[in-house]
Amino acid sequence: MEPVEQSLHLDALLAQDISNAVIRAFQTTFSVEITAGPSEIKRGMVSLVGDVSGVIALVQDGLEGTMTLCLTFETVRDILPRIVGNAISVTHEMTTDAVGELTNMIFGQVKTELNGRGYSLKLGIPSVVTGRGHFVSQFHRGPYMILPFYLEGQLFQVHVALYDNKEELAPASH
Amino acid sequence: MSQLALLKILIADDHFLVRQFVRNTLQESKITNIQTAADGNEAIDLVQKARDVKQPFDIVFLDWNMPTVSGLEVLNYFRTRPEYADTAFVMLTAESEQQNIMKAIKAGATSYIIKPVSPGDLSKKLFEIHEWIKRKRDGNNSAAQA
Repeated sequence: MEPVEQSLHLDALLAQDISNAVIRAFQTTFSVEITAGPSEIKRGMVSLVGDVSGVIALVQDGLEGTMTLCLTFETVRDILPRIVGNAISVTHEMTTDAVGELTNMIFGQVKTELNGRGYSLKLGIPSVVTGRGHFVSQFHRGPYMILPFYLEGQLFQVHVALYDNKEELAPASH
Repeated sequence: MSQLALLKILIADDHFLVRQFVRNTLQESKITNIQTAADGNEAIDLVQKARDVKQPFDIVFLDWNMPTVSGLEVLNYFRTRPEYADTAFVMLTAESEQQNIMKAIKAGATSYIIKPVSPGDLSKKLFEIHEWIKRKRDGNNSAAQA
């Protein structure tokens, strides 16, 4: 019997998977403690606090979305010396490289967790966007989820937007 | 000096963060003969040149997604050449699809490590890989003597 594909939702279970993946990626790579704040489901304008974002597309049958990891330059520059040492000054290229790889690791792990529970999720190739104080605009009016994290008091965020394109394709009821 | 410390290792990953993380972990095991490659072509080139001068790599860590040539393609390239049979090719990647893990194992990956991995877990894997190399080389020596 074919397994029934589960449909992805912005819910507490997804928030928990993302929190676990974020905490694990930072702890194993940088040996730093991360605290997760309460996730929120919102609509309307998205305002993320950060200068460098790793964005990855996700696709499920009838569903599209993005997951974004957004940090400040200061946060990345504070943790990178744990890997490269204090003698090397952290460059812009190192910052974008690190956020790209963290994005890959975190959302790859989220995909593994979800697909292990019957979601057939596919991810795109991560992109990194930089610019001091940039913000994310989403081109649909659906809900999104924001997850705040704290690294030694510094805030960074994960944003997840899902867009159910089956709803748009469904015939209008009269 | 422990046998582990004598290993010659290549880390092929397009992200400096991973190259440096793995290098740090290896150095904690007193391994110092470490080189890095930022893409698959560079990895192939370095592995071949090292064998040409009779100083082959013992272990090659391969990311899956790299520019120009993927880690899987590098693995396939060397596993069709018998002279690299006792070189350990280890996939170290965030790629966690079961079918891709099976693809790499069937292609001859010595081990498959999913990122993120802690320094402790990577060190444990390193010990297992070293045991694999020893078994391979002991087998080759026995066959040569027979």
